[in-house]
Amino acid sequence: MFVRMIAGALFRQWKKMLMIGFTIALGASLATAMLSVMMDVGDKVNQELKTYGANITVVPKDASVLNNLYDIEGEDSSGAYLAEDELGKVKTIFWAFNIVDFTPFTSTNAVAADGEAVKVTGSWFNHHMELPTGEELDAGIRNLRSWWEITDGTWIDEQEGSNANVAMVGTALADKLGIHAGDTLTLQGNTSDLSLEVVGIFDAGGDEDDQVFTTLDNAQTLGGLDGKVDSIEVSALTTPDNELSEKAAKDPGSLTVSQYETWYCTAYASSICYQLQEVITDSVASPVRQVADSEGSILEKTQLLMILITILSLIGAALGICNLVTASVMERSSEIGLMKAIGAQNTSITGLVLTEIIVTAIIGGICGFFAGLGFAQIIGHTVFGSAISIRPMLIPIVAILVIVVTLVGSVPAVRMLLKLRPTEVLHGR
Amino acid sequence: MNKKRKMYFRMLTASLMRRRSRMVVALLAIMIGATILSGLVTIYYDVPRQMGAQFRNYGANMLFTATEGTFTQEEVDKAVSDIPKENIVGVAPYHYESVRINETVQMAAATDMAGAQKTSPFWAVTGEWPAASGEIMIGESIAETYRLEAGDVMTVAWTPDEAAAAADEEEYVLDNTKEFKVTGVLETGGSEEDYVYMSLEDMAELTQKEVALDVCELSVSATSDELTSYAEKISADVPSISARLVKRVTQSETTVLSKLQALVLLVTIVVLALTMICVATTMTAVVAERRKEIGLRKALGASDKSIVSEFMGEGLSLGLLGGILGSILGFLFAQAVSVSVFHSSISFRPALMPITIIVAIAVTAVACILPIRSATKIDAALVLKGE
Repeated sequence: MFVRMIAGALFRQWKKMLMIGFTIALGASLATAMLSVMMDVGDKVNQELKTYGANITVVPKDASVLNNLYDIEGEDSSGAYLAEDELGKVKTIFWAFNIVDFTPFTSTNAVAADGEAVKVTGSWFNHHMELPTGEELDAGIRNLRSWWEITDGTWIDEQEGSNANVAMVGTALADKLGIHAGDTLTLQGNTSDLSLEVVGIFDAGGDEDDQVFTTLDNAQTLGGLDGKVDSIEVSALTTPDNELSEKAAKDPGSLTVSQYETWYCTAYASSICYQLQEVITDSVASPVRQVADSEGSILEKTQLLMILITILSLIGAALGICNLVTASVMERSSEIGLMKAIGAQNTSITGLVLTEIIVTAIIGGICGFFAGLGFAQIIGHTVFGSAISIRPMLIPIVAILVIVVTLVGSVPAVRMLLKLRPTEVLHGR
Repeated sequence: MNKKRKMYFRMLTASLMRRRSRMVVALLAIMIGATILSGLVTIYYDVPRQMGAQFRNYGANMLFTATEGTFTQEEVDKAVSDIPKENIVGVAPYHYESVRINETVQMAAATDMAGAQKTSPFWAVTGEWPAASGEIMIGESIAETYRLEAGDVMTVAWTPDEAAAAADEEEYVLDNTKEFKVTGVLETGGSEEDYVYMSLEDMAELTQKEVALDVCELSVSATSDELTSYAEKISADVPSISARLVKRVTQSETTVLSKLQALVLLVTIVVLALTMICVATTMTAVVAERRKEIGLRKALGASDKSIVSEFMGEGLSLGLLGGILGSILGFLFAQAVSVSVFHSSISFRPALMPITIIVAIAVTAVACILPIRSATKIDAALVLKGE
């Protein structure tokens, strides 16, 4: 009989139930969309912030000291180098998955045809790597120098089948030497000479405008630095620093075992640096404060902003559902009055009303959940151009939210129903 | 006519007062809608400004370099006056000079410490920034080389240019020296760690001459187009200075900031659309309940027009009230968000209040008109009979 009454109510009043279901679906979709965007916004913004370039640099252990003590800046004889064949190890550390991009640099001095001394930097542009893990990666400064403006020509293409003897020249130097894309630049290095085809002129808005950029091999040949790398820039997704990471950055030895484990297994800039030092011989990895710190604060603010907006919309959705449930239950006072008049118990009336609403809520909630996932994807694709990852955690959160909100929303309505006096209602007052 | 209007208002207020609980429900729905509308739109408009301030953490986005040789503080002041004052976050002029520490050559940078603190907020200083005369901040690699830490005293020597010239003539000219107290060690992860930092006054005292400026860093909160126009204006106005943008910072900021704004915009649209539909369904439910009342009125001889106008009057006054309350609550919400996220208050947008109220009224009107219309079409007898 109970089931029949419920089914009857649902089918006979389908219009009303449809409206309740629709509102619940809207609320649920709002909650789903906002929660999934909120949970993913950190990762997404972190990716966007990668346009600021590398946030970790790795240099040989003794480089800075030598430079300082003997004031040999400008001469390429700092004496300490990293080994090129260890580069692949960058992608083998614990947080390898968080390393978005990295590129080595080797600088040397050379003399251009007309006697002008130039700084030549070798690097990766879109270097294709096959990692021991089976992953493939295109790494290089195309991504790490996203702010470079190519004023003439194109980027160097390192992929198979293209010319290897190529270079890019900074605008300032190009003006000085009178070089355009397509010209040939002859460089006289420490040990050997090279003729390079200039494929592009770039405007970097900094010191690099006075340099020649070429492939790592070319720079090594020019400088006689085979297999040697000056520095590595690494762009990694990191977690904003906190007290623990600051303490660890000073001295990892000062941590207790459990603190050390937490630190090592969290993607702090300092722990990624530490792990990089572990795999690359005689290296010092340090966070680039300008990028690493700012990233942290912007991420934090964006996340907090999204959390607050999410809370507002959740409250809005919850109140909306409550409101409609109250309004629609109130409307049925004469029906309830009749039930009471023919002897229905308060408990059975409450049970009936609540079951009706919960059934509607579940149906509406499921529809809303999927609609919400759709909304989240629309936001993800329009804003970030990539899908928003769906966390399984969303399902229980949204389910609990919908049921609690619907039940709470029915409380004032049910209390009112219980107070109804059948005679008054049926009389039409 | 007057009597009729009086009656209209009486019916309206009586209906609002007598059906208090239902009206509260309706009012609450409209208010939530209006709160979300005004709150989110306020945040949307304020995000670029507030976030822009956060992006200034990346440091200077404009550089002044000399077109020839060096430039002076007066020229900097003149150039800076081309940029609206409220947009300037910090100005830090720099002069670089090679000095001797323990007889080894190092680079010293003289700057305005307060300005540098603003243009380079990411500098991590162990200890304090120099505040008084005779205080110095040293880069981490310098600190490592000379085993110095905050609190130590060091001597900085500077060889006058004449001394170098005089050395040929075997005349001995003493270095100028000055004692400094190290107040802090600077860590940046960049080449800044190789320098020592002192105030412009100390540099003047050490070198016994007026300090000319090599570079000036500026942190300006503006879009990259605005920055370009400032830079052009300055380069034209002050011939000795060439203003350049730090591409890395300005370009990346534009990319990221536009994404963030698009995110907030889209979220605002989705939330608003869904909330407005919620408000509409609630209003529809509240009105639909009153079919019986409409039937009774029709039976008593009321025209469709008068029924519609009365119900609409009710709906619209609810919309007005809800809109006013909502725009106030929305502003409070936006304010709370701004204070907790960005630690700064939000500016009140007077234009937003009438917009919120109009939208609230419009949504209520649309939500009411459908059920009222359908109610006026039905047969009074049927409704009253309860079918």
